[in-house]
Amino acid sequence: MTALARRDLLAALVAATAGAALPALARASSADLKPTLFADLDMAAAARIGQAWLAARPPTTAAVLTTRLFPNGRGPEVLPALRRRVAEDFRRGAVFVHRGWRLSDTEGALFALLALEAR
Amino acid sequence: MAFIDARTLPDASAIVADLVIIGGGMAGITLAKELAGGPLKVAILESGGRDIDADNQALYAGSAVVHAPDNPDKPFNDYPGQSRARVLGGSGMVWGGKCAPLDPADFAARAWAPHSGWPVTREQIQPFYDRACDLLEIPRFGRDDKMLQDPARRPLDLAPEDGFFPAPRHFTRYSGGSDKAAFDRFRTDFADAANITVYLHANVVRIALNPAGDQVAGLEVACLDGKRHTASGKTYVLAVGGIENVRLLLASNDVRAAGIGNRHDLVGRFFQGHVTYAADTDAETEGTAIHISRDAPMDLYLGPRRGSHCVLASGAPAQKRMGTGNFTATFYAGEETGAGTQAKTETKTIGKVAARIDGQGAGGGQLLGFFAMSEHFPNPDSRVTLDAAAKDALGMPRIRLDWAYSKTDWDSLERSAAGVGDALGAAGQGRLCWPIKRQMLLEISSASRHHMGTTRMHADPRQGVVDSDGRVHEAGNLYVAGSSVFPTSGIANPTLTILALVMRLADHLKQEFGARR
Repeated sequence: MTALARRDLLAALVAATAGAALPALARASSADLKPTLFADLDMAAAARIGQAWLAARPPTTAAVLTTRLFPNGRGPEVLPALRRRVAEDFRRGAVFVHRGWRLSDTEGALFALLALEAR
Repeated sequence: MAFIDARTLPDASAIVADLVIIGGGMAGITLAKELAGGPLKVAILESGGRDIDADNQALYAGSAVVHAPDNPDKPFNDYPGQSRARVLGGSGMVWGGKCAPLDPADFAARAWAPHSGWPVTREQIQPFYDRACDLLEIPRFGRDDKMLQDPARRPLDLAPEDGFFPAPRHFTRYSGGSDKAAFDRFRTDFADAANITVYLHANVVRIALNPAGDQVAGLEVACLDGKRHTASGKTYVLAVGGIENVRLLLASNDVRAAGIGNRHDLVGRFFQGHVTYAADTDAETEGTAIHISRDAPMDLYLGPRRGSHCVLASGAPAQKRMGTGNFTATFYAGEETGAGTQAKTETKTIGKVAARIDGQGAGGGQLLGFFAMSEHFPNPDSRVTLDAAAKDALGMPRIRLDWAYSKTDWDSLERSAAGVGDALGAAGQGRLCWPIKRQMLLEISSASRHHMGTTRMHADPRQGVVDSDGRVHEAGNLYVAGSSVFPTSGIANPTLTILALVMRLADHLKQEFGARR
């Protein structure tokens, strides 16, 4: 498959979920992060990334990560707040490298939360 | 056309001109084009003929090895023979035609970059870059590049303070790899001029100095059929490439035992090359890749194979902040491999989450491959020497290349890759994957045919072989043209800079000869 075709496929997949996910985002509560914002993720892959982040840090819990990432709930305001934290992480060198991918520590924590919630 | 096969001349013929150019490659040809139709009688001595020939090419054979910290030595014995073309047109015959200027930062003395700094600035070279672009019929490089103003080719929206910028690359048709017919005209049409004579199959095997050792008195010319000739002029320009310039200077050691221009043991040192670094996807890792968060096309960077495009480059602010040299990331749309592997599913997951957080588009963004290029810092231990025990068919000693990297090079490469990743992430533009471990860098690198730095330019004879005009400090009527005079090598393909410097040299020679008359 060429990259162009792959991009088209990705776009179609996300477009198919976006229509359902975005209205749902407005109704998101602390209990439904997974089914709304990240409903279309491969949760096994997300969990592996999260476990890698967890393995390199002191033990933590879903509650601690929830407080860190979503102190004011998981409503539609979540994404801009995450975006700011991610930018700050990259600016101050707080990064998490997974299989070569250079991610912010906030993203690592987010994957870790998904991993813990998937248990 | 004034093309003469030196093998057809009577043995011991004497070639006489005002200016003798050693080498009919891109540098020698461009110099002759600049002087065509003028008052100077110009002779070009070219080793090859019109076509690449195995016997002639065999004169290039030598040995090479690449050294780098934390990596096993990489034998590279094919490189001296395969990275050059000994033919009229030189390596232009196998060149792909990619053109780019060195960046302003490349010319600057940078405290964190050892042996950096040219005796000329980019601003001083700019008019000659413009002329070189006109000769090659490509757009001029500068702030007003139309490609950067095309609303359909939107650049990545990176923070200016991070110092990464889209650096244009244009392709000329005047290269053997682009348009053979056009290049054939390019490499021959100048010889229509009455003042130009091109001698083919004419190998210069010795530069003879006067007894005082401060002027060139003449040249010894050899043909593979056994004939020997001489050539003499008022002024000489050595333009046989970044490796062969060294070979001829060092081998001409009958008056000065260390060779010509080598009083301070600089000839052959500071060899710099360009290599690309890229890794393919496998079951364990994604390759070198960038997930771009936006859905909008990346046409500015992807471009057609031989069309204008941009690379993502680190400018002076980024280099200063990171303590690095020049660095570029060249994007490409690769084919998807490894579908269904853990690495690939994690890549997709990372891309989706990043695109969503970045808020760039509903489509989930796009995954691109990239290869990195990182400046090879000048290093005196990276050098070309002669192997006196091995001679070619003309009796010339063969070369040995010890291509050396230092820890500084690796640090610069890895910090630059991380810096691009951080700039992309901080700006909400994407995420970068750099899966290459340091001990794998040599193994996965691919070398370009760029040989630079071996007769470096410096105002101080103790730090450079030639002065800012390209004149050998120790031989007043001998100039060197080509990428061997580059003190630093940046990332840009060297040909455009070679041509710009040659045009500057042509103006200098016109003035010099004018003053003599």
